Amino acid sequence: MRLIHYLRLWLACVRYSVVRTLMFRGDFIMWSLVELFWMAVNLGLIGVIYQHTDSIAGWNQWEMTLLVGTSLLIQRLLMGFFWTNLFEMGRNVRSGAFDFFVAQPGQLLFMVSTRKIDLDGFLNVPIALGVIIYAARQLGLDPSAAQITVYALFIFCGLAIHYATLLVFISLVFWLQSAKGVEGGYFGLNEFSRLPREALRGVSAVVFVYALPVTIVTNVPSSTLLHGIEWSSTLWLVAAAVFWLVLAVTMFHVGVRRYTSASS
Amino acid sequence: MASLAKYRHAFLIGLQSNLVYRWNFAVRASFSLVHLAYVFILWGAAFAGQTSVAGFDLRQTLTYFIVMLILQFFISAMNEDYEVSEEIRNGLINQFLLKPINYFAYRFSIFAAARLVSGSLALLPILIASPFLLAYVSLPAPGWTYAAAVPALLMSACIQFTLAYCFGMLTFWFLEIQSFVILSLAIETVFGGQVFPLDLLPRWLYELSSYLPYYYQMYFPAALLTGRIGTPMEALRGLGIQLFWVFALYGVAQLLWVRGLRRHTAVGG
Repeated sequence: MRLIHYLRLWLACVRYSVVRTLMFRGDFIMWSLVELFWMAVNLGLIGVIYQHTDSIAGWNQWEMTLLVGTSLLIQRLLMGFFWTNLFEMGRNVRSGAFDFFVAQPGQLLFMVSTRKIDLDGFLNVPIALGVIIYAARQLGLDPSAAQITVYALFIFCGLAIHYATLLVFISLVFWLQSAKGVEGGYFGLNEFSRLPREALRGVSAVVFVYALPVTIVTNVPSSTLLHGIEWSSTLWLVAAAVFWLVLAVTMFHVGVRRYTSASS
Repeated sequence: MASLAKYRHAFLIGLQSNLVYRWNFAVRASFSLVHLAYVFILWGAAFAGQTSVAGFDLRQTLTYFIVMLILQFFISAMNEDYEVSEEIRNGLINQFLLKPINYFAYRFSIFAAARLVSGSLALLPILIASPFLLAYVSLPAPGWTYAAAVPALLMSACIQFTLAYCFGMLTFWFLEIQSFVILSLAIETVFGGQVFPLDLLPRWLYELSSYLPYYYQMYFPAALLTGRIGTPMEALRGLGIQLFWVFALYGVAQLLWVRGLRRHTAVGG
């Protein structure tokens, strides 16, 4: 029953977001263009580098495009579902507007994370999918239904990991004066999701492959399409998603205890 | 002198208010080392099996990105567009209309203070990482590159600030300017050379980019400091175009201010 209650709440928020988007159509078009341009920047970097080299850590241009496309897909989903909510949380804690969420009759993290959805983020999801499909065709891939299902599961795990990482960064606002600039840390880490795992060696592999799940969120799904399903990787990614979600939720709740309203 | 004193005070207040957020700047600078690690790994992998890309070796390419990172904290506009926008939207700008103070100069004083704080704080993590970074630094020998880099850096800061100021001015016409700012940031990231050195672009696109203001926001001084601008003549040409953009953008900023104020309505007592 509680689940249905929260589903209804979320649907109400979706309705509110759609109405709001329709009210500010120009803004919606502008943001869609912004996101599209950023995607082009990431793909452009790959294009420029491969004009001067044939391989990055053993990955050819279309394998890298598949990897970057996967990263873009997860990030578009994050932007669509959670980015604005968590970004605004950082500002709200500083201004005291966070009181509004604390006073709501519902699970606080749910209220904070789902108040708005960004349709412009979702608009670019088909484009990210298009990039992945195009790269797969260039590589001559013909994935089975099982591979596609596991790939979809990995994208879901990737979304959970990205949400958790972003929440960890934004929750720092409870300790710092403001979250200004802190969200940049998330984007810094996210860059590693566009690197092949083989490019990381020594300390960087320990940090960005094993300690932080930033590289595996895209490498594992991409490898599933390229080389088939690997069950050890599946277990690794699912376990990483659960671990990071627990860590982020704990950090958020510890941080909330420090919150003292800033409003008068 | 008295007229300059008020901007000195604005600068000092800017220093104080930015020092409040010292931890944010320090955290941001530390995170930028994460970006640098990504750049090192990506370009290290791209250089595997070859000694040079577009005429530059791995050390020269990595030096470019290190210089770019340091410059970012000393000269780039960070939140200035949003701050101007907030002051217009919330009516805080009204107080400047009644006082003998130039709003552009006031904001520039605050910008200079903010960059002094952010630049100084950014040096801390970079100094800590320097034993590792120095192994990858390869700076050019000719003295003229450094002499040309000084005015180039000052003008880059002016272009950075004025562009941000112009975007802030758009608030007179639009309720929300964030999308314009992020779109401009995306263009700047590419044509400012932050994603890759611009000389890796096809020749015609590189030539075209050298006429855009974005080229002079960051790439031009970084290219001078890392030897990617080959001759004094090329540097002089760049300084000339950069000077043009400083004045052109200032003109646009003044135009937006005058036109914007015509639309502005000050409400309240």
